[in-house]
Amino acid sequence: MTIHKYPRKKGRISFFSLLTAVFFLTSCQKQPNLRFGNQYTNDNNGSNVVVVDTSTVLVSTIYSDSTFTDGTGYLMAGTYKDPSLGTVTSRAFFQVAPPAGLPSLSPVNNTYDSIGLVVFFKKNNPWYGDTTSQQNYVVNQVDSSYQLSPPFLIGYSSNNSLPVDPTPLGQTGPIYIHPTALDSFPLTSQGISDTIKIRLDDKLGRQLYNMVYTLSDSINNPTSFQNWFHGLCLSTDGIGSGGTGAIYGFKDSCLMRIYYRTAGVFAQQYIDFNITNRSLAFNSIRTNYANTPLVNIRKPTGAYNQTPPATSSKVTGNAGYIQSITGLNVRLSFPTIKAIALRPDYIGLLRATLTVRPVPDSWSTTWRLAPQIGVYTTDQNNLLGTPVPAAGISGAQTGALNVDYFNPQNAVYAYDVTSFVQAVITNNASNADSLGLILSVPPPNNVADFRRVVIADQSYQVNQRTTLSVYYISLFPHN
Amino acid sequence: MIPSLKKRSFLLYLLTAISLGAMAQGNFSPYSQMGIGDLEDGFYNRTTGLANTGIAYRSNRFLINNNPASFSDLANQYFTMETSLRGTFIGYAGSPVDIGATQSADITFRRLAMGIKVSKHWGSSIGLVPYSTQNYEFNVPYAIQGSGTEIANHFYSGHGSVNKAYWANSYEFFHHVSIGAEAGYIFGQLNQRDIIQAGNGATQVSTTNDINLQNIYMTYGMQIYGNAGKHWSWGIGGTFSNKADLLASYNKLVLGADSSTLQNNELQQRYLSLPNSFGVGLSLTHNQHFTWLADYRYQDWNAVQGKNVYPGQDYSIASSERGSFGFEISKKKTLYNNKVELSYFQSGVYYGNSYLQINGQQIKDMGITAGFGVNSLKTPLAYAITFNYGIKGTTKNNLIRQNYFNVNFLINYGSIWFTKGKKFE
Repeated sequence: MTIHKYPRKKGRISFFSLLTAVFFLTSCQKQPNLRFGNQYTNDNNGSNVVVVDTSTVLVSTIYSDSTFTDGTGYLMAGTYKDPSLGTVTSRAFFQVAPPAGLPSLSPVNNTYDSIGLVVFFKKNNPWYGDTTSQQNYVVNQVDSSYQLSPPFLIGYSSNNSLPVDPTPLGQTGPIYIHPTALDSFPLTSQGISDTIKIRLDDKLGRQLYNMVYTLSDSINNPTSFQNWFHGLCLSTDGIGSGGTGAIYGFKDSCLMRIYYRTAGVFAQQYIDFNITNRSLAFNSIRTNYANTPLVNIRKPTGAYNQTPPATSSKVTGNAGYIQSITGLNVRLSFPTIKAIALRPDYIGLLRATLTVRPVPDSWSTTWRLAPQIGVYTTDQNNLLGTPVPAAGISGAQTGALNVDYFNPQNAVYAYDVTSFVQAVITNNASNADSLGLILSVPPPNNVADFRRVVIADQSYQVNQRTTLSVYYISLFPHN
Repeated sequence: MIPSLKKRSFLLYLLTAISLGAMAQGNFSPYSQMGIGDLEDGFYNRTTGLANTGIAYRSNRFLINNNPASFSDLANQYFTMETSLRGTFIGYAGSPVDIGATQSADITFRRLAMGIKVSKHWGSSIGLVPYSTQNYEFNVPYAIQGSGTEIANHFYSGHGSVNKAYWANSYEFFHHVSIGAEAGYIFGQLNQRDIIQAGNGATQVSTTNDINLQNIYMTYGMQIYGNAGKHWSWGIGGTFSNKADLLASYNKLVLGADSSTLQNNELQQRYLSLPNSFGVGLSLTHNQHFTWLADYRYQDWNAVQGKNVYPGQDYSIASSERGSFGFEISKKKTLYNNKVELSYFQSGVYYGNSYLQINGQQIKDMGITAGFGVNSLKTPLAYAITFNYGIKGTTKNNLIRQNYFNVNFLINYGSIWFTKGKKFE
């Protein structure tokens, strides 16, 4: 038997301190990096990720007969002939107003010189088509009332137009516009920086000059002026040289300018009639699908509140077409998607990605792809619903296109459509099968940009078609 | 002054809580993903420095849980408590080991035990010891099914431990025979997780298999001992553990990337069999100064192989065995007509085959030990430190060899019990 003295307080404190220290030391450890064990692990015991990218994706083109093209900030004028979408023409309608402070003119010292329309093409303005094609720009005077009265109660649309005097007020050309020219070079072949000047009819110029001189009521009162001078229409006289053409979006800061002279003054003198009522300036767009697959597209019959019709890609060259400004959007339907959730090993959706591939030979440096395509929900009415959100990312998805001209098959629009697929899979409503997605150019480019996409349907080979990849969590039942 | 009951209760509570909390932590052990983890070979007691050789060993102060028959040798009306902790340094070798990280180290509690001499011939002990531990992590690149090009990552991990809470009693007959029985309650949880990670490391889905194990596991022991002449004493010991079925409850929890529960299933309960185990040991002591010991232990896993369904694949369970030898030098001093041990030195060697057979290789474990212990005369404490160098596994057949170095600390607290301060023989 051991004889001992019993522990003193100091000894007990030391003992417990040691235990406490050791307890905390247990967490201070490092670990090796081992690549051992995979062959001994039974993968069927745990969950796995399985991807299904063979779901049927039906592609169809939705045609809307109009888009709101007023107040976009751009006067889009020109004509081009797209090998995939046919001929597209845009004419810009706008109004000008006399300045608030008119100069005092005298017949002794002042003389009329000329009148012209000055339009500006800024560096980052939208444009589409062949920039090597020369075009003649034509200005016509609007021949009827230009105000929001029936039938234009809510604004002007792409399918609207106003009657114009068939005799042009003026024209210029043929000229080039070089949208991508270096800053040190003029953007137009007129050589005046970003400016295009179009000489107008002197008859109009003298009339306006005299009205200023006489301080006519029609020029002092804006309403009276617009009742007399309804507006202008800027357009081109055809496709342009080479048969390709282009549409340019001029800034809506254009002006009509009367030049005059003053005795003894060498400086240029003028009176500017600036654009006014910008919200009423609009682009009237016409398409001609002759000799393209879109000739078969179904168009609305004009019935009130009609659902925009969808045309299967089977009758439009196995492709869907997106050019929102001309009313073309693509609808994607997924008739077999619900079957994924019926698989015996399906226990949950992980994510779903939609990969939209343009038809490789449908685009080029001339016929450029839309840089952004949004994805929206839709139903049997083929109308744009809410944007499909991406997990963890705020804001609408636009496809994150990476243009690769050398490897066109690598150009894809990619979307996270997990929330949409989740909603469809778990939706037992009677109209669940009619749920789908619409691909459309997001605002504001949907009414101000002609760049488009021709989307390959599932008749194309796997790496060129539009695919829906559904990643689901797989777990086979265990006892 | 004797520590009050309140203080002793607090000490017990503290040590129990720390032990339960810390037992499951430790170094990665690549083989622990198989079976029910790494089975514990050590006893973390006085015999640790003897290569855990102690089936025939008896002590009047230390709790020799190698054999439940040993507790009858405790000093009369003596209460003792032991706790052990271990520091381990492991070097990993083999083709599956990334040369950038080949070592690990940790410190863990390994044991908490208490014993008392209930009556003149009856010794009793309760304790908490590890039975097996599981601690592994590894990554496996995974080609997403259905995709020819996309790679994800399986991050496999397993953590947990199976512990044994025991109550052992032994009774001495005729001053030369002691018979003991240990009722062990095996319990614990193995937590095995499979996390599928995206290329950026983000969790996509995780599957957690929790296996809860529990049952009674009985161990019986016997020791026969005596003197051979004036200078020699001898001992023979044997242990037997009856095979038992561990009730295994499985729960599978699948969580999505947002931690939402996709599935939470309690699967069918199964039984995992623990085998019959045998052990025999010898001891020979000269002048209470030098002691030689030898042990042999055998676990008949082959007999229960068919019943066991363990996670994983491509490995098998095989009967395990272990042989060890120990040598001890004990320094004693005579005080008040009693021989009191002041210190001791121990050494040992061991060699064994584990219960895992992988790629045709039964995993071997071998090593040497050395220890030194001091019994304080001024306090009721005794301390021991033991060093153990060993090699486990092999680099053959794409396996891993672990070269490990353990430092074990043993703290023993002894006191007269139920005497209100009176000391007697």
